[in-house]
Amino acid sequence: MIQLQSVVKQFEAKNGTVTAVDQVDIQVKKGEIHGVIGYSGAGKSTLIRCVNLLERPTSGKVIINGVDLTKASPEQLRQSRQKIGMIFQHFNLLKTATVYDNIAIPLKLLGYSKQEVEEKVKKYAEIVGLTEKLASYPNQLSGGQKQRVAIARSLSQEPEILLSDEATSALDPETTDSILDLLLEINEKLGITILLITHEMNVIQKICDYVYVLEKGKLVEHNTAIELFTKPQHPTTRKFLNTISQRSLPDSLIEQLNLTGAVIRLTFVGESTGKPLIADVASRFHVQPNILAANIVELKNGIVGNIVVHINGTAADIADITRYLTDNGVQIDVLGGTANE
Amino acid sequence: MNKDKGFLEQWGPIIWEALIETFQMTSISLIISIALGVPLGLMLVLTRSGQAFENKWVYRISNLIINIIRSIPFIILLFFILPLTKFLVGTTIGVKGVIVPLVVYTAPYIARLLETALLEVSPGVMEAYTAMGVKRRHIIWHVLLREARSSIVLGLTIATVGLIGATAMAGLVGAGGLGDLAYRYGHIRFQVDVMYAAVFILIILVQVVQSIGNRVAAKLKKD
Repeated sequence: MIQLQSVVKQFEAKNGTVTAVDQVDIQVKKGEIHGVIGYSGAGKSTLIRCVNLLERPTSGKVIINGVDLTKASPEQLRQSRQKIGMIFQHFNLLKTATVYDNIAIPLKLLGYSKQEVEEKVKKYAEIVGLTEKLASYPNQLSGGQKQRVAIARSLSQEPEILLSDEATSALDPETTDSILDLLLEINEKLGITILLITHEMNVIQKICDYVYVLEKGKLVEHNTAIELFTKPQHPTTRKFLNTISQRSLPDSLIEQLNLTGAVIRLTFVGESTGKPLIADVASRFHVQPNILAANIVELKNGIVGNIVVHINGTAADIADITRYLTDNGVQIDVLGGTANE
Repeated sequence: MNKDKGFLEQWGPIIWEALIETFQMTSISLIISIALGVPLGLMLVLTRSGQAFENKWVYRISNLIINIIRSIPFIILLFFILPLTKFLVGTTIGVKGVIVPLVVYTAPYIARLLETALLEVSPGVMEAYTAMGVKRRHIIWHVLLREARSSIVLGLTIATVGLIGATAMAGLVGAGGLGDLAYRYGHIRFQVDVMYAAVFILIILVQVVQSIGNRVAAKLKKD
């Protein structure tokens, strides 16, 4: 559905060429929600704007439904864009138009008949829950409501793809959740493929099937959300994971505890989250695991749990325990003073 | 001078005639200036770097020409472009003769005011419409001009007030008007009461124009 192939975007700046997006490959299948996460300045915005050619890539291909948009004529591009919705951090609504007109004007301009326009406005205002607000102006709405208008405006053109450029970054946590629920709902009910960019890990956690971590224009890691949450490889990914679940312990603490046994991180996925494994270990190996930190994260496609324990025992004991836990589907990381992120 | 007649009876028709002349000059030159200034202002915005019709040279040259014209005081412009006036309308005197300099004076001003108004429109909204596959000319009309319309009206109000001021100098080429009346009778013939009356009417006129402008702008703003 969406295919970016070795996309590069460079800007000419005063002090030389800046590469904002560097050899990025992304592939989103129909009906999936993919998320790109990165810090500000990582090139996320430039990347997502390359998908509908608001930024023309310096090189690489942008293939939407089998058509390479970088080779399309201006008219073909315009037609293709009508099937790619986009929502923005700052909503980008007409200040001088009511909610109704904000949804209706683009439809009119795209040549829908008066009756179609009216039907669509009503239908999509209802989907986003704004039927009561059709006569209001954007300034009379809250941030969340404005984003709903923007979503309705995009949906009313019945796109196959929705691009979300930091759509929840200007919203408070509760509103963010309600907007994410709405995105999830339109993904499930209308089958719209979503590609989003964000700097908030909870957005990824809540709605993404697949995650890309972008740093300095390059994809440093990409994986399904569950794999990424259980086996983060890149330091940046780990930093992002720390933002929603405390995964790191003070180095000095770990060093001290390592003198008597080992500090181990247990990562549970899926059914292993249901087993009383710590209790098992305690009775089976006659050790007393000390839980230092624990958390559980609910992802779109499953649950990932993390427990960091200190086990007082000999190296042989620890090896047996790790083997036992691994056999039970738990992923084990032994945290040395240096392995701690 | 006949002291028996009342002031209104004596001067009324002359003041009325001057008022009509001021109206004529202002409205005709305003309409032509809008017709020229609005596209010029649009061009200034759209040829800027990063805009839809980015063109460094068109922007720089039009910017320069506008600055040059705007540097010349109207009273000098009036004489400076006499040959052009003669060429365009065949005469350099009367209401007809003053329209050309008034337009040359006002159109670049309107272009500048429009430019300022249009630059206030959030580029994000236009981008959203581009992303929806809306045609460029539709974006210019339904987004750019629509979102700026309140500021545009305020800008045109300022231009109109400036234009009324400029018509006062039209008397120099025999076009009449309130300014000319105040100057000729008040200053040269020491008919101070006529000058006061003309100035008073000009004040009222500007007040009316400004409050209509403000009100329309507020109504268009909506938010």
